[in-house]
Amino acid sequence: MSLDNSKLCRLSVGYRLQWEQAQNMFVLLYPEGMVELNQSSAEILQLCDGNNSLDKIVKTLEEKFAATGLEADIINFLNSALDNGWITQSA
Amino acid sequence: MAGSLKAPSPPRWLLAELTYACPLQCPYCSNPVDYASIGEELSTDDWKRVLKQSREMGAVQLGLSGGEPLVRNDLVELVGYARELGYYSNLITSGYNMSEEKIIQLKQAGLDHIQISLQASSQELNDFIAGTSSFVEKKQVAKQIKKHGYPMVLCVVLHRQNIHQMKDILEMAIELGADFVELANTQYYGWAHHNRDQLMPTQQQLNEAEAIAKEYQASQQGKMKIYYVVPDYYEGRPKACMNGWGTTFLTIAPDGLALPCHSARQLPNFDCPSVKDYSISEIWHESKAFNYFRGDDWMQEPCRSCKDKDKDFGGCHCQAFLLTGDAKNTDPVCDLSPLHHTVRDAIKQSEQPSEQALLFRNSKNSKLLNN
Repeated sequence: MSLDNSKLCRLSVGYRLQWEQAQNMFVLLYPEGMVELNQSSAEILQLCDGNNSLDKIVKTLEEKFAATGLEADIINFLNSALDNGWITQSA
Repeated sequence: MAGSLKAPSPPRWLLAELTYACPLQCPYCSNPVDYASIGEELSTDDWKRVLKQSREMGAVQLGLSGGEPLVRNDLVELVGYARELGYYSNLITSGYNMSEEKIIQLKQAGLDHIQISLQASSQELNDFIAGTSSFVEKKQVAKQIKKHGYPMVLCVVLHRQNIHQMKDILEMAIELGADFVELANTQYYGWAHHNRDQLMPTQQQLNEAEAIAKEYQASQQGKMKIYYVVPDYYEGRPKACMNGWGTTFLTIAPDGLALPCHSARQLPNFDCPSVKDYSISEIWHESKAFNYFRGDDWMQEPCRSCKDKDKDFGGCHCQAFLLTGDAKNTDPVCDLSPLHHTVRDAIKQSEQPSEQALLFRNSKNSKLLNN
């Protein structure tokens, strides 16, 4: 499975993104497991809410952080998130 | 004896063993063999206090387990409270006697996922191992779990008597629409330790099973996640027990005993504290049991000078106790252990034909074993 720019990204069924005060970080929770997220991963996953395509995610984050050239890193991350089953894509 | 001067990391995982009662009788059950003589279960208010205090410390994954957690009348209430506190809650159940109404109620209360167990891929073997006619019903429940939008984890404990069904088990998982499959080789604690000679698979069985698991892992990638848990008796190195003692996991037994791992209540002179007497914070930070194997001050050779000591933490202390009589010994699964022969002997012994039948897990047998 690889990233399709025309589709919208969302967290897979059963996955939950949550801020954890005790750890001072976002975590991704799923059946019997969790991933501690660094800031950039958490920023990308927060936009995987079923309303955003790759382009929109890149645009939103480049505007938010007044940066350019983020696309390659975001594609890399989303591809591994897809492979890990964290996110799914829908039309 | 505190193993480390550094403050321990907070618990991340709370395993709430709500009850030891269970309608099934699986002979590899990890509950203590003397469960029938263990005292009264915690009340709903006790459990709520445990959930709240643990969450405040940082626990976020919650396992609701047993025994069979569905036996507790307050399960829906506890799930609702856990959701309110922000837990990700996992119900670990046999699925037996689980009505569609209960599946819906739990969903509404905020349960995140259900792990259901099957004992085999055929009705005859499933019902024999479970000691209860349950196969048809459990498969039906698995379908309802999917229907109501839960991610479904199918767990099958593997052993000599069902491991040859590996391919059929995985096909069954696909048919049922499982999102995750946990194929866990039996770990020899509790009832499984008692039945070890009848449950231990052969090396050849394991090789075949592992090849099939790998094949399906590749073909199901992105669709169904398959975890295959290898049996440590056949590994040269021990597992990193509990991700490090008192670093991540907190188990509360049905009677309120707080355990660094769910087998720890069998360790002698451990004085595991009870949530009836202490807060979770006191238990986690100050109790003897939780500090016992923290850090590496407790280690003896060959662990003490081993380059892997920060990787596997000396392995499993409960296993060291069961096989060598001293929990502070190196886990004998490790081939560097001077007592590694205890594991080789156990494998050899299990290869001999045995007249002994499987001892099923039920209250009658529990009382028998305890006398």
